[in-house]
Amino acid sequence: MNTALILLAGTLGVATQSLHTRTNDILIEFAPRTPDQMTSFYEARGFPKAMLDKLKHTCYITVRIHNTSQQQIWHDLGNWKFSVNGKPLIREHRDVWKQRWQDMGIPLRFQSTFRWTLLPETLDYLPSEIEGGNIILPRTDQLITLKANFKTGEDQQGPVINIEYDQLKCADDSPTKSEP
Amino acid sequence: MKRRIVLILMVLPLLLVDNHTYAAEAPFGLRIYEIGHAPNFKLNNSDGEAFELDSTRGQWVFLHFWASWCGPCRKEMPLIQKLSEKINSDKFRIVMVNTSEDEDTVFTFLATLSIDIDTLMDTDGQVTEAWKPRGLPTTFLIDPHGKVRYQAIGGRQWNNPVYINFLKTLISNQ
Repeated sequence: MNTALILLAGTLGVATQSLHTRTNDILIEFAPRTPDQMTSFYEARGFPKAMLDKLKHTCYITVRIHNTSQQQIWHDLGNWKFSVNGKPLIREHRDVWKQRWQDMGIPLRFQSTFRWTLLPETLDYLPSEIEGGNIILPRTDQLITLKANFKTGEDQQGPVINIEYDQLKCADDSPTKSEP
Repeated sequence: MKRRIVLILMVLPLLLVDNHTYAAEAPFGLRIYEIGHAPNFKLNNSDGEAFELDSTRGQWVFLHFWASWCGPCRKEMPLIQKLSEKINSDKFRIVMVNTSEDEDTVFTFLATLSIDIDTLMDTDGQVTEAWKPRGLPTTFLIDPHGKVRYQAIGGRQWNNPVYINFLKTLISNQ
């Protein structure tokens, strides 16, 4: 039941490190993509250089969310807060990217494809459902902390699921330095 | 008063029939998605032939948005092909919409998978934008009156008897 937005997981191979956090109800996996991995995916789809130049300076992470519970779980990216050393790291909303591409005169087809690779802003997950997509953050070489919460239940009145994960990081193209 | 009761008795069965028609229980993975009339669109297929969604009135429509770069789409496409072979009815129509790709990419993709289902070309992605599927692939089931009834987000085992039987039930209840 994966959406296309897990596309990079298949397309980019297994070179990236998978990170995850889980509760009894939800499993969230993160696959940070290096700039080369991410831009080569878009380049193969004919994206203009101007788009690639913008994207390669970002922190690009594929997210896969699995509802492992027996209840409906409500995902809302507005309830995801990223921070580095206690300072907020602001994720740009897809509308910001849309406006940016429009201002740059990017052809609609590339705008559209780009949009489909992003994690939906909101989505309700049925029991056992798995959907994913990509999030884009400002680039940092520090560990990123994510705090997120999810409403549950058909009427969104069930217990709130809170997650906190502090091992998120951006992927780099440079070879991993060995520990001294 | 008597007249009103007669009228109610005449109308009631029609209402019950309408509710009953689509009351088949959807299998796991298909969500009830009743957003009203399906937004019409006109697109050309990969041979340049024009298609309009509104021309499918009287049929259940399996409207499927896809792209070749989407891994689940690749897995799902052969299953949709099998579905098309197993439900051979003029009351059922599979409508594929490729999102924002060019003909070379689509031809190559379909040829590689030996798929002979035709697809519409939403080359600038604007029909997909209008339909707002929440991810790719996404499938909508539209009833013969042109109303959207169900949605499946992500790939599905469309050749699974559960789905085939469900679709056959919808068609036969038509």
